[in-house]
Amino acid sequence: LPGSPPDALPSTGPHSLRDMPHPLAGSSSEEAVGGDSTPSPDLLMARSFGDKDLILPNGGTPAGTSSPASSSSLLNRLQLDDDIDGETRDLFVIVDDPKKHVCTMETYITYRITTKSTRVEFDLPEYSVRRRYQDFDWLRSKLEESQPTHLIPPLPEKFVVKGVVDRFSEEFVETRRKALDKFLKRITDHPVLSFNEHFNIFLTAKDLNAYKKQGIALLTRMGESVKHVTGGYKLRTRPLEFAAIGDYLDTFALKLGTIDRIAQRIIKEEIEYLVELREYGPVYSTWSALEGELAEPLEGVSACIGNCSTALEELTDDMTEDFLPVLREYILYSDSMKSVLKKRDQVQAEYEAKLEAVALRKEDRPKVPADVEKCQDRMECFNADLKADMERWQNNKRQDFRQLLMGMADKNIQYYEKCLMAWESIIPLLQEKQEAK
Amino acid sequence: MEQAPLDPERQLQPAPLEPLGSPDAGLGAAVGKEAEGAGEESSGVDTMTHNNFWLKKIEISVSEAEKRTGRNAMNMQETYTAYLIETRSVEHTDGQSVLTDSLWRRYSEFELLRSYLLVYYPHIVVPPLPEKWAEFVWHKLSADNMDPDFVERRRIGLENFLLRIASHPILCRDKIFYLFLTQVFFFYLADSRLKALNATFRVKNPDKRFTDLKHYSDELQSVISHLLRVRARVADRLYGVYKVHGNYGRVFSEWSAIEKEMGDGLQSAGHHMDVYASSIDDILEDEEHYADQLKEYLFYAEALRAVCRKHELMQYDLEMAAQDLASKKQQCEELVTGTVRTFSLKGMTTKLFGQETPEQREARIKVLEEQINEGEQQLKSKNLEGREFVKNAWADIERFKEQKNRDLKEALISYAVMQISMCKKGIQVWTNAKECFSKM
Repeated sequence: LPGSPPDALPSTGPHSLRDMPHPLAGSSSEEAVGGDSTPSPDLLMARSFGDKDLILPNGGTPAGTSSPASSSSLLNRLQLDDDIDGETRDLFVIVDDPKKHVCTMETYITYRITTKSTRVEFDLPEYSVRRRYQDFDWLRSKLEESQPTHLIPPLPEKFVVKGVVDRFSEEFVETRRKALDKFLKRITDHPVLSFNEHFNIFLTAKDLNAYKKQGIALLTRMGESVKHVTGGYKLRTRPLEFAAIGDYLDTFALKLGTIDRIAQRIIKEEIEYLVELREYGPVYSTWSALEGELAEPLEGVSACIGNCSTALEELTDDMTEDFLPVLREYILYSDSMKSVLKKRDQVQAEYEAKLEAVALRKEDRPKVPADVEKCQDRMECFNADLKADMERWQNNKRQDFRQLLMGMADKNIQYYEKCLMAWESIIPLLQEKQEAK
Repeated sequence: MEQAPLDPERQLQPAPLEPLGSPDAGLGAAVGKEAEGAGEESSGVDTMTHNNFWLKKIEISVSEAEKRTGRNAMNMQETYTAYLIETRSVEHTDGQSVLTDSLWRRYSEFELLRSYLLVYYPHIVVPPLPEKWAEFVWHKLSADNMDPDFVERRRIGLENFLLRIASHPILCRDKIFYLFLTQVFFFYLADSRLKALNATFRVKNPDKRFTDLKHYSDELQSVISHLLRVRARVADRLYGVYKVHGNYGRVFSEWSAIEKEMGDGLQSAGHHMDVYASSIDDILEDEEHYADQLKEYLFYAEALRAVCRKHELMQYDLEMAAQDLASKKQQCEELVTGTVRTFSLKGMTTKLFGQETPEQREARIKVLEEQINEGEQQLKSKNLEGREFVKNAWADIERFKEQKNRDLKEALISYAVMQISMCKKGIQVWTNAKECFSKM
């Protein structure tokens, strides 16, 4: 929306329930996508909700609509906590419709956040707001601040090297949109984080900037108390389970880093292979121009190689856009988890130090035991929260990687199938006149 | 468009007004016939195999100009402008045009086309190119080749150049012009023809079939060499792609060690990645067989060229002998009749140092008459030899062509079969890996 003042984020405001389709129905009655009949909301169709409703800036087709893996993965993510918590879902959030805003001072992208909920914490059943990356970043810091005992999902990288990556290219924006969508969905799935006040405001406020300026500190009880934990206490013994988590995360991040490097290398090799293929095909065409009887067969081979080149390009694009970002996300995730573990260590260290101090003093002043009790309380809450989050994280990680790697296999299968089709279709052409002779 | 075997008498007449090694004089025959078969009667080479290209109306345009950077022959970076040439064929019925070809060319390629036309059509006024550098500029205009206005004017000039060639009754039929519009790698085809021209003996009446065949063998050599070079690079890159996948095997294994439920799936998938990586060795070894088949015809092209060269030599030899005979006959005639038409050293010295005696003259005439007789015998036998050669050579060339078409078709089929097998293996491995991932 050019010309709109940079401060006010336009919001389309809340819609009535009738106008918006059920998230799992997969059909759309919205303006831009066009006029299918709406199936009844209780029909759980295995179609991707997000992709169908995507309206991209240049009217392009959303990536991943053809891949079965992506639609099932979206469905999976929507259904994520059904088994774990056994509660019916009452909060749905989706990120879509990226739009470019050109203002005098800067140019930036906003995304539409659509929320549907029956929770009492939401005044209306539906919300639709627009947010930019800055706002997500703000939300994340607020969550870290107010819920320090929980694992906060990562955001896609903040800074991009200008000149190397085009921040406004369709591919970059789409990759970012997917990551932001995942970020909000992970929070939505979390039994504690999803009730966070900042999160609520992020999803619903018409003017987020005004709210930011007020600097309202809505720290939870835990947040408030952990905030004041000072470092500098030395931890005596780390409980086995947290030590194990720490070790696991170290190795995990290391292995992911290796996989990221391998994947990047594969893409690089594939692109260099593609460059050669793009020269290879046309040479057959040149040869065909010299020949009589062989002209058609040679031209056919040239076209065939051209088709394989196109298929290869699609493979490398897909891997770059869908595979690499998710890997990187998990590396960021484990980094942020390590810092939460550190904080936990600090809380425990403080408690142990205070406990020791009390034991040494042999006094019995009423104030001190309460203080130590508070520390103990804090530590035990932290441990419990963290354990629960780790379990949830492990489960999600397994699902995510299963889908990610199956997706990678799928893309490669599709590539070979396209090439196979091209070569098989040319055999009759090559064999043609020989039989006639 | 076969030429009758050359006759000593005819050689004294001026050569027919046809460009040396005229490309596509055979076009007249191709138009109206289906392209296959029509080509084979001359050299199987120059006639348009792309059906009825010129029967439809075509539109040519130089529609865009783009700045490019690349490396030149000295491997130094340079900036140049590339121009987009689009060819459209216009359907008779509805007047709608369909884009048939489009490619990018730089100014130097236009120059090459023009050089070629100048050499091969010496009697035709070849349309000019727009200026290479900005000359005759008045002070306000820039003398910079990259200046957008200059580029735009040049684009129009280049389009004009192509349109003038396309509307010229003779030039529009030239094969190299056609290749310029349609083939990315036209450069060495035109270039090799120019070089070939320089290397030819000055044969006055070349047999068009052999000239065409020589061009074909040169071009075949060029294109197969290029193909083999690029294929080797392709194989190299493909090897890299497969081998890097092998790294997944190890890292999946290491990762599976720290996982509980995911471990087995990862481990077994890793094994499939190892299988994938090692499969490329056999695949590329099979492909070498295909490369060998191509190489054989690369060398065959050389052999073909040798036959053409031999014919050229024979022709040259024949022409020299005929020339020699003709000059002797003339000398003889002059001595007999007493008229001096030709310049000879003997004649000059005789003038300077006095007339020769009738006896001396008789003796000379006798010698010449003997030489003339001998010469005529030799010429006759040379002509016979020549005709035999052409007959036999052409029979073998026809046989060769059929063999070549058969063999190369077989080679292409087996190449396609190899590719199919490679794709199927790829599908198998990744399907297995996917299965393992699904169990994670």
